[in-house]
Amino acid sequence: MSNSIATAEVERRSKVVSLQQAAGLVADGMRIGLGGFAIYQRPMAFVRELIRQRRKDLTVVGVTNSIEADMLIAAGTCSRLETSYMGFEKFGLAPAFRRACEKHGFDAVDYPELLAWDRFRADQEGLQFWPASGLGGTSLVELNPDIKAFDCPLTGKPLHALPATRLDIAVIHAAAADKYGNVIVPGFHNLPQSFDVTLSRSCRKLVVTAERIVSDNFLQRHARLVQIPAARVHAVVEVPFGAHPTSMLGRYLDDDTHWAQYIGAAKTEEGVAEYLKANVFDLASHDDYLDRIGGARLASLLQVDLQQ
Amino acid sequence: MNTPATLNELLVVTLAREFRNDEVGFTGLATGAAAALFATAIPLAAMQLARRTHAPDLTVLLAGWIYNPDLARLDELPDAEFAEKLRDLPCESQSLDYPGSWPHRNGAISFGFGSGVQVDACGNINSVLVGDPARPKVRLVGSILLPEHFSQFGREYIMMPRHDQRTFVEQVDYVAGVGYPGGLEGRARLGLESGGPELVVTPKCIFDFDKVAGRMKVRSIHPGVTADELRAATGFDLGDLSGVPHTAPPTERELEIIRREIDPRSALLGYDMASAQ
Repeated sequence: MSNSIATAEVERRSKVVSLQQAAGLVADGMRIGLGGFAIYQRPMAFVRELIRQRRKDLTVVGVTNSIEADMLIAAGTCSRLETSYMGFEKFGLAPAFRRACEKHGFDAVDYPELLAWDRFRADQEGLQFWPASGLGGTSLVELNPDIKAFDCPLTGKPLHALPATRLDIAVIHAAAADKYGNVIVPGFHNLPQSFDVTLSRSCRKLVVTAERIVSDNFLQRHARLVQIPAARVHAVVEVPFGAHPTSMLGRYLDDDTHWAQYIGAAKTEEGVAEYLKANVFDLASHDDYLDRIGGARLASLLQVDLQQ
Repeated sequence: MNTPATLNELLVVTLAREFRNDEVGFTGLATGAAAALFATAIPLAAMQLARRTHAPDLTVLLAGWIYNPDLARLDELPDAEFAEKLRDLPCESQSLDYPGSWPHRNGAISFGFGSGVQVDACGNINSVLVGDPARPKVRLVGSILLPEHFSQFGREYIMMPRHDQRTFVEQVDYVAGVGYPGGLEGRARLGLESGGPELVVTPKCIFDFDKVAGRMKVRSIHPGVTADELRAATGFDLGDLSGVPHTAPPTERELEIIRREIDPRSALLGYDMASAQ
């Protein structure tokens, strides 16, 4: 027996949309989660499209955040950030975020790292909050009215309730997905990909941008690696080099030259405005962005990774 | 005849002597030359030394995901948590997901290493901001894992590459990790029943804590540093320093193990803060 549905009266729906359509799913003021971790595998093409569409007042909810949130802050797209880490790791501090906090009192809400992740687990488990021990005495609880102290109902010991993330939408960038939304996660992955999987279970509207939309045959040969089944996915977009300038596991390294360009530009408001004009607003599409970066540069970032 | 011990080697042996067999030590991957040396490289070398001298069953957990890596294979310390160099490093086990294989709320981590922009007299640490939280003078990366380090790890070693009045303050501007406000009783009232900072390691001295009074005190002063220098560099009162010993130097055998076996290519301890300044 074949599982083909070619003779059926209805056809299975493709979830493939354009990047513009996908970004259109995000409305002003939404709470959004962005896949990847720190400086790794962020859905940057999607971020640039959000900026191009001049979305505003987004709250970015994360575990560790980096250039994806910094660029949104620089563009005025993100007005609140809930996370444990906002920086560029080996590249230093996040310049636009830092300036927004120091000059404009940006709404930065700090959470401890693994508890920031547990907030997504609360959503996954259908809970309103995640219970935490060990936070007493920290400024994190004193300065955050969303964290509530309570006593353990069994032992009476002091605990804190951290709110679930209650995301409106989440976006991840993956190596490969099929047109229905099944997403392959390489076996030898790390926290950036693990967080993508958590997002797929915590958020009810997940958008996947993928390096490649693969055939049904390819997908089914890798079924054991499909940690995000199509039923969890709302829309799929094919976006090669969609994480640039961040790295993409098994595909390409981070583009240090471009990171340096961004960081140099983002030191001033004028500089980052020029960066966004040249890399986002003056370009009609992601293809134009890749042309701007240049084929030789992109090719130099490609890596060989056979440990999948 | 060995050349004299460097500051880095002095700190490595001081820490190594603290670790016990069967413990699990956690290091993050700090970035920036001085921070990486203090918060990552020196702790890794210290754990390797302990494994070769008295704690063969000590487990090294690198960057939160790599167990017992073969560090002698490194020619330099990687500068990114998921760098290819780390992914390719031979090791015993890898924790690839969260939740992973180290349930830190269930006693998985014996000790960790943390750093920050400020540490205060009771051992609170700050990695978040300087100034008023609503409009900080300097905004930094955030608390990261420090709240967990200071409450859910068995104990914490505070690693401070700078020792001056800006970093050693009476009261931090933001508490990311909790020391001993009100001593052990004060911690208990906050719901912190275990854990907390054990030592503070700096280029000038080693601090420990009067955990009843909840106050940092000088345990030993590094050779070549005077008590007056130490007072001038510290933003809180250090009390009477007259009986404080010098930090005990490495033995010839410890130096030999560090130089020949642990760090043969100077990948960990090659960075000299004094000459870099």
